[in-house]
Amino acid sequence: MSYAYLFKYIIIGDTGVGKSCLLLQFTDKRFQPVHDLTIGVEFGARMITIDNKPIKLQIWDTAGQESFRSITRSYYRGAAGALLVYDITRRETFNHLASWLEDARQHANANMSIMLIGNKCDLAHRRAVSTEEGEQFAKEHGLIFMEASAKTAQNVEEAFIKTAATIYKKIQDGVFDVSNESYGIKVGYGGIPGPSGGRDGSSSQAGGCCG
Amino acid sequence: MHINEIRHRRNGLHCLDYTVVSLYGEGIGSMDLVSGYKGVVGLVFGNESSGSNEDSYVERLLDRISNGKLAEDRRNAMVELQSIVAESRAAQLAFGAMGFPVLMGVLKEERDDVEMVRGALETLVSALTPIDQGKSQKNEVEPALMNTDLLSREADNISLLLSLLAEDDFYVRYYTLQILTALLTNSPNRLQEAILTIPRGITRLMDMLMDREVIRNEALLLLTYLTREAEEIQKIVVFEGAFEKIFSIIKEEGGSDGGVVVQDCLELLNNLLRNNASNQILLRETMGFDPLLLILKLRGVTYSFTQQKADPGKEANRLTNKTTLVQKKMLDHLLMLGVESQWAPVAVRCSALRCIGDLICGHPRNLEALGSKILGEGLQEAALNSILRIILRTSSTQEFVAADYVFKSFCEKNADGQAMLASTLIPQPYSMTHAPLEEDVNMSFGRMLLQGLTLSESDGDIETCCSAASVLSHILKDNIQCKERVLRIELEAPMPSLGAPEPLMHRMVKYLALASSMKNRDGKSNASGNLYAQPIILKLLVTWLADCPNAVNCFLDSRPHLTYLIELVANESESVCTRGLAAVILGECVIYNTSPEAGKDAFSVVDMISQKIGLASYFLKFDEMQKTYLFASASAAQPRKSLTRSTAASMADIENVDENYLPDGKNDHPILSSIFDSLFVTLVKSLEADIREKIVDVYSHPKSKVAVVPAELEQKSGESEAEYIKRLKAFVEKQCTEIQDLLGRNAILAEDLAKSGGGSNSHSEQRVGGAADRVQVETLRRDLKETTQRLELLMAEKAKVESDASMYQNLASKIESDLKSLSDAYNSLEQANFHLENEVKALRDGGPSTFPDVKAIKAEAREEAQKESEAELNDLLVCLGQEQSKVEKLSARLLELGEDVDKLLEGIGDDVGLPEDSEEEDE
Ligand SMILES: Nc1nc2c(ncn2[C@@H]2O[C@H](COP(=O)(O)OP(=O)(O)OP(=O)(O)O)[C@@H](O)[C@H]2O)c(=O)[nH]1
Ligand SMILES: [Mg+2]
Repeated sequence: MSYAYLFKYIIIGDTGVGKSCLLLQFTDKRFQPVHDLTIGVEFGARMITIDNKPIKLQIWDTAGQESFRSITRSYYRGAAGALLVYDITRRETFNHLASWLEDARQHANANMSIMLIGNKCDLAHRRAVSTEEGEQFAKEHGLIFMEASAKTAQNVEEAFIKTAATIYKKIQDGVFDVSNESYGIKVGYGGIPGPSGGRDGSSSQAGGCCG
Repeated sequence: MHINEIRHRRNGLHCLDYTVVSLYGEGIGSMDLVSGYKGVVGLVFGNESSGSNEDSYVERLLDRISNGKLAEDRRNAMVELQSIVAESRAAQLAFGAMGFPVLMGVLKEERDDVEMVRGALETLVSALTPIDQGKSQKNEVEPALMNTDLLSREADNISLLLSLLAEDDFYVRYYTLQILTALLTNSPNRLQEAILTIPRGITRLMDMLMDREVIRNEALLLLTYLTREAEEIQKIVVFEGAFEKIFSIIKEEGGSDGGVVVQDCLELLNNLLRNNASNQILLRETMGFDPLLLILKLRGVTYSFTQQKADPGKEANRLTNKTTLVQKKMLDHLLMLGVESQWAPVAVRCSALRCIGDLICGHPRNLEALGSKILGEGLQEAALNSILRIILRTSSTQEFVAADYVFKSFCEKNADGQAMLASTLIPQPYSMTHAPLEEDVNMSFGRMLLQGLTLSESDGDIETCCSAASVLSHILKDNIQCKERVLRIELEAPMPSLGAPEPLMHRMVKYLALASSMKNRDGKSNASGNLYAQPIILKLLVTWLADCPNAVNCFLDSRPHLTYLIELVANESESVCTRGLAAVILGECVIYNTSPEAGKDAFSVVDMISQKIGLASYFLKFDEMQKTYLFASASAAQPRKSLTRSTAASMADIENVDENYLPDGKNDHPILSSIFDSLFVTLVKSLEADIREKIVDVYSHPKSKVAVVPAELEQKSGESEAEYIKRLKAFVEKQCTEIQDLLGRNAILAEDLAKSGGGSNSHSEQRVGGAADRVQVETLRRDLKETTQRLELLMAEKAKVESDASMYQNLASKIESDLKSLSDAYNSLEQANFHLENEVKALRDGGPSTFPDVKAIKAEAREEAQKESEAELNDLLVCLGQEQSKVEKLSARLLELGEDVDKLLEGIGDDVGLPEDSEEEDE
């Protein structure tokens, strides 16, 4: 139960792109074929290890539907990381990315690490957005990018862990004042309460979900 | 104040609402506005009212605040405004009509002038605080309420107020929180919605929890209001770190010694966790339940929220919660609280017991943990024994229900646990079972239970027995091994000389009869024990007999049992549920009856039901029971009321319910609703379906006395003519009696139909005579529904009888034609015989003396056979004719009731013209 750091994540993106599925795959290693529309937000948690340090991820999966936007915005400020998800088989979900980013800029803290995920890459035959376009968008807006599949679990672990590694690195670099919890980071037992020497942000796979 | 005037003012204010609101958005605080208000206010209030002094005074002050040039003068005006608004309702009213835009303007544009901002906020607090006037007139507007409504209408106002929470000045934050709390108290929904739309709104409130004490406590209250029944807000509050903050406040305040602040923390905690799976997961995954348990260990007021952990949420989540909680020794703490802490208030003990039930229910590991738990130091006792002791001893209804719930949960889908408990049920000699319930911690579970089951007999009080019966029914539920095992338990008669030992089950039936007789003796059921004694024992029997032929057999072993049950079902003075449950047991005696013994078999039971009660009236008992409030409410599984500060306090009151309880009323008696829980109701419903089907089936297919095998109608090789005819004759005879039998049944059915058709009318007439119109309408509606249901049922039965009738009709005509071809064959045989005889005669002229005899006998036999078969045929035809006319009568009645009879009768009868009240008796 003890952790060196606790990071708060949010998952955002249009409805139906697979946000809840990504979370479920990450926390429970399951896939849910039916679209269970998220109402408001849902919570999930898992422990991972980065740089041999146990890191607790608290993840808030938000509803993509427009009508929940005012609620979901409340979660931006306190988050250290965000997974911004689109569906590679539905072009419009890619087109909406700019508006999601704008929302994030407005409500989140400037240092929030954003991972752009092109989800459902198992459906290559129905692809409507090329990998290059995704890469290009991420580059333009300073995001990390990955294509993933909540169904096959491809890149799911990597996406969550790489985001954590980025945040971890920012801590090492002294970007955050970790004593201020509004950045979505908490220092636990064994964490370094402030910038320090260890610069290596290499990541490693986590164990199962912790109890 | 004059009433008319008030009405004027109200109307005026109503218009003003909109004015004020629409003005908010514009350049508030500009000088012109107030003059605009002056006009409106003058128009609305006029100058003749006694309030006009306040109006003009308030107006002048507002004017000074917005138009004054000197800062000092404006501040003074604000102070004056605040004090008059704090004192006078008229001033509050006047302020509401004019003041909000002015003060909001100050708050928005003069942030730097701390004194002005403070003053404005303090004035707002005063405007929203009701002034106690002593003799308040009815229908009068509460100005403070109206002002909260006005202020909360604009989300902008809320967001402006929230932004003030970031100010450095203590009073600014303090007053702001007070204003928000006032708004939240009066229009919670509006404020909850508004706060959700304001980015960082909740974040700001959460920050207040880390503020200095006074503000923190105020924020705690505010958050408690804000999170009430608002799931999304609950989640955001938790996202903002509420758990850590709450636990740290609790710790700071000295845990359970912390008094009201800790209590507020717990209430907030309770709000955040109740019915919120997401937050439960977060607590479990992030901080764990340790902090909760820490509080629980300290007892005191803290029990209230623990039960929530096991409450709704997704199934998996619930299981994980339970696992985690028990790993954390939650069970020990709860047992300590619920079982061992006899000094704790009964409400606390009950909560703890229910929580134990929740923790173990459907959770194998936790079940095992409880099953093997030993309590006490020195004198040790199994936890389950201690809980049983509570059940047998308590005089508190609530405690009984709570402790009973532990056993219910323990036995639910836990065959091993049931077997473990049942294995200790070993009968003891009479003298031992009837020793008073001692403190003997060495007494086995079974002995204690048996003692409880049988103890009461001597003192005529069956309350303890009922409590024990309830536990026994949990042990037997769905567990055939346990049922069989307990069936074998025999009890010694009180005086061994008085009789042979009797099965435990028979003793239970005795108590059931005892319970009814006690009730009858009292005239009314005021003794609380008797009220549910019957339902509890009936439930035990229903549970026991379900799916258990041996139990049915044991029950029917004693002849009077069946008679008693039938009486119970038919007894109008018994409650609807008692009669319904008795009907269920009767039904079980049919569907689970494997006895071949005449008088005990399913056919006998059905016959008895149809003769003594009537099938339709029997089935009606099920319908009536389904309609009771208890059944209806149990089907919609209700979430348990949460235990909060106030419900805990009023818990003691529930104990008084017993005295005021009215049978069959809408009162939800805790014991009855615990008996009729949703599982039992489901069982009864599924039994009912089976019972209906089986009884109709048994009734319409009486054990056939005649095996109809067409091949047997042929003459067997080697069978002589006479034998063959005799056999056929016997066959026809049997068929004939069977048809008679069917006719009898048909007559009973017809009677039933007649009763249910006309009976309901007279029934409702009776009621109309005595009851009020409302009741009459209700009764008629119900009767109509019941009649329709009965009709449907009868239709189904009738269809079966009809198809049977036509089958026998076919059979009869077949036999007829068989007989005919038989007699043809006989004739030709006769012929052949005749020739042969002649030949023989011709061949043996000498000795004719022996042969004429044969011939005579044969002729005689032939004649007799022919005569007899003719007579049989006539009988048969008469029977068929009668059958036909019955069918026609029934059809006529059905036609009257609006059924398409022709369709039903296709191929059976051709016209349906019999008068409806022709003679009934044919026998
Ligand atoms: N083939 C495939 N289907 C996926 C994948 N991820 C999600 N889906 C499907 O897409 C649908 C939507 O998934 P969700 O995770 O519920 O969508 P969401 O983004 O949470 O939607 P909202 O809750 O409305 O915001 C579901 O039917 C999933 O089965 C994926 O990687 N591959
Ligand atoms: Mg979702």
